[in-house]
Amino acid sequence: MIHTPHVDWFAISTVLVLLGASFIALLGAVLVPAALRRTFAVTVAALGSLGGIVTSVWLYVDSANGHRVIADSFYRDRWTALTQVILCATTLATVLVGADRVREHESEFFALLLASAAGMTFFVGSANLMVMFLSLEWFSIALYVLCAIDYDLEGSLEAGLKYLVVGSFGSAALLFGSALVYGATNRIGFAEIAQQVGVHGLSGDLLLVLGLAMILAGLAFKSSAAPFHMWTPDVYQGAPTTVTAFMSSATKVAAFALTFRILRTAFPQEAHLWTWALAGIAVASLVIGNLAALVQTDVKRLLAYSSISHAGFILIGLSTGTALGGRALMYYLVPYSAMAFGSFAIVAARERELGKPVTLENLAGFGWERPFLGVAMWFFMFGFAGLPLGGGFIGKFYVLSAAYDHGWTWLVIVGVLATLVSLYYYLGVVRAIYMRGPQLAVATGGSPPRETLLHIAVGAALVVSVGSLVAVGPLITLARHAASALPF
Amino acid sequence: MQGPGIAWYLGISAFLFGTGALGVLLRRNPIIVLLSLEIMLNGGNLALIAFARHAGNGAGQIFALAVMAVAASEVCVGLGLVVAINRRRLALDVDKLSELRG
Repeated sequence: MIHTPHVDWFAISTVLVLLGASFIALLGAVLVPAALRRTFAVTVAALGSLGGIVTSVWLYVDSANGHRVIADSFYRDRWTALTQVILCATTLATVLVGADRVREHESEFFALLLASAAGMTFFVGSANLMVMFLSLEWFSIALYVLCAIDYDLEGSLEAGLKYLVVGSFGSAALLFGSALVYGATNRIGFAEIAQQVGVHGLSGDLLLVLGLAMILAGLAFKSSAAPFHMWTPDVYQGAPTTVTAFMSSATKVAAFALTFRILRTAFPQEAHLWTWALAGIAVASLVIGNLAALVQTDVKRLLAYSSISHAGFILIGLSTGTALGGRALMYYLVPYSAMAFGSFAIVAARERELGKPVTLENLAGFGWERPFLGVAMWFFMFGFAGLPLGGGFIGKFYVLSAAYDHGWTWLVIVGVLATLVSLYYYLGVVRAIYMRGPQLAVATGGSPPRETLLHIAVGAALVVSVGSLVAVGPLITLARHAASALPF
Repeated sequence: MQGPGIAWYLGISAFLFGTGALGVLLRRNPIIVLLSLEIMLNGGNLALIAFARHAGNGAGQIFALAVMAVAASEVCVGLGLVVAINRRRLALDVDKLSELRG
């Protein structure tokens, strides 16, 4: 008789809700008449991600004592639950933006989106190397298809194939690294790896260190940190903008949350190695992201490089490896994901208006034509730059103080310099939006489309990014509870 | 049981991984690139199975089985994209896919 483990269904309820909604949305492609298909898919997807928010909040409340469930393969704790809340909220916003933007194959689009979100919510809770690899591929494969979903556009197909090749390269590195770590310790569970390393004194073992390096490289591919970022600008530019908005916020949240978890849980004894490795990656991301963003004219590419530089900031918090760093990371992810999502959603609105790629040039007058979106973009750009108009300010302050606390003043200096450089291109976007009046050449007559759902999503992102500055106390408490689930 | 030691298996799996990585980096035909990705994953698989045998626990073997399924679905999506690109009569050369300059 096969021994089956006890399954705590509630621990994976968020994943199940998203996955269930994904299946229903996909069934809609064959069972629902064509005229109703879009409404059906959007409704199911919105309800599914709302349900995901509800279950993950419930899970957060109900999991004060973090532990592992289902044969020790999944963490039911507040670190998982809080990340899941962010992921589900991003998914809901993506559904709203995608609602009247996806041109065809609506059911498939929303089914894939929810499947990918389900994979991410599973990924952040994974407690062994196998679950980590499987859920990474789960959400990645869905994202590859999503990138290529506008298959009559050359850029979209190209983005899909590029992402697939580079992403699979990263996954293969992650797999080989996992195999080496397994070889060194004979275990695949995160906690057991650390325990074996402690018992057998393996912390300098060549197999283990090589494996750790390859796992880090694989995860850095997903979070698009330099020097593993080369795919990011191309894929972000080529993919449908709705998908880009989702990737730039949700994928990064999932990748960073898991990276911190695996480093703290499985490799605490190697902290002296990975703190330096991550600090190096952080500096590379800050330098490459900021310098490359300076010369971009395409707004999607500019935001892609900006997301690379923000990966650098987040990695500053991560690289300290301390509890303060973990809190800073968790806090940073909230305003960052809202701003990243919101800014791409606004680009999506402009793109639809123009019917061609958005550049700094043809952004002129946007702030006067669409006042609300203009003001929101202004807030997002200033928030990205770290001016105290949104949570980005506190986020940056928090990760830098974690680095200072760790004794890395040089990293603080690099971070501040990077912020100064980034002001130039963020202000460039604001200047493009406001400093020139409406261009007659662009105005093609008629008022801009209403896009109520997009406005709601951008408004929500604005509320979260500004709100995280106002409600900084409660959010830091949440982040502290989440980080206390990890071993320090 | 006598046979080649774990080092040999590890050597071969590293060689497979390296071959695949070189293929992804150097070859231009997307089908060959996908093939090279599979070789990389199989390098990982061989290492997992060898270590599982060496350690005497089954975790690595189950891991490898799951990886095979994942690799199949990944290449399925990849080939789907290649077919879609081919239908649009684009050049089947990853260096010529340069509408997006990176």
